[in-house]
Amino acid sequence: MLQCKDVTDETSNYIEGDLPFSKRIALFLHLMICRCCRNYVQQFRKTIDTVSVVRPQEVDETDRQALAKKLHAMCDKTHSGEK
Amino acid sequence: MIKNIFKSQRDDENTLIQNLVAGDPLAFEYVVAEYHNLMLSVARAIVGDSIADEVVQEAWISAIKALPKFEGRSSLKTWLVQIVSNGAKSRVRRENRYTPLDDGWEAVPSDKFDQTGHRIDDVLPWETATPEALLANTQLQEVIEQAFQALPAMQRAAITMIDMEGYKIDEVCNILDISSSNARVLLHRARVAVHDAIEQHQDN
Repeated sequence: MLQCKDVTDETSNYIEGDLPFSKRIALFLHLMICRCCRNYVQQFRKTIDTVSVVRPQEVDETDRQALAKKLHAMCDKTHSGEK
Repeated sequence: MIKNIFKSQRDDENTLIQNLVAGDPLAFEYVVAEYHNLMLSVARAIVGDSIADEVVQEAWISAIKALPKFEGRSSLKTWLVQIVSNGAKSRVRRENRYTPLDDGWEAVPSDKFDQTGHRIDDVLPWETATPEALLANTQLQEVIEQAFQALPAMQRAAITMIDMEGYKIDEVCNILDISSSNARVLLHRARVAVHDAIEQHQDN
């Protein structure tokens, strides 16, 4: 019999459909009788949705405009050398 | 309809590549803005923070040199990520580097369950945490960004690639050179950390 802690550990695999059939059924049955775990799975789905919207970024101090200029200058040299 | 969308994405990308080869400065700004973060995330996961910047710069240079030969068999994003992944992996081999999977990660002590594994406190549904509501709540956005940035590099790469960029688990395994069970664990830990940060914010 699955416990709430097992559901928490397997939530990603459950959502992604990566659980073996027997475990998926066991988890589904647990969700039928446990409101807390149903709510947890709902929260987890919302977490995934919001991450895809907020799109947190790596901390990065690269000057992207300067990098783009450097690559552009290099492209000019490389490709004009090929002509 | 879907066919048209794909066709138009392919056309857009062809135009972008033509503009890059033709030396359009705006095209360079666009690709750097669009893909640098993902490339950095992949490099940091494979080689660690200290030399990731260098690996990404080298990858950009290799990509620009090879651009006229780019045949479009994959998307530009896939191609760039493959270049940075290969560069990072060869750096790891050459320097005999070892990057731990979960460097610095510690499981949060689980005080949410009793000894039998049942939840102690009630869990309520999140009514307001729709993506739209989150976008309107800058404080919560900061909470999510901070939780993400506190994750080890491998976990950040897993959640970035799968939940933000739409990669499949097996693609992530190839790019980061990890097993699928490791990829699943990293992804789950990252999601749990972000979930817990949101939950804590909602409780306060």
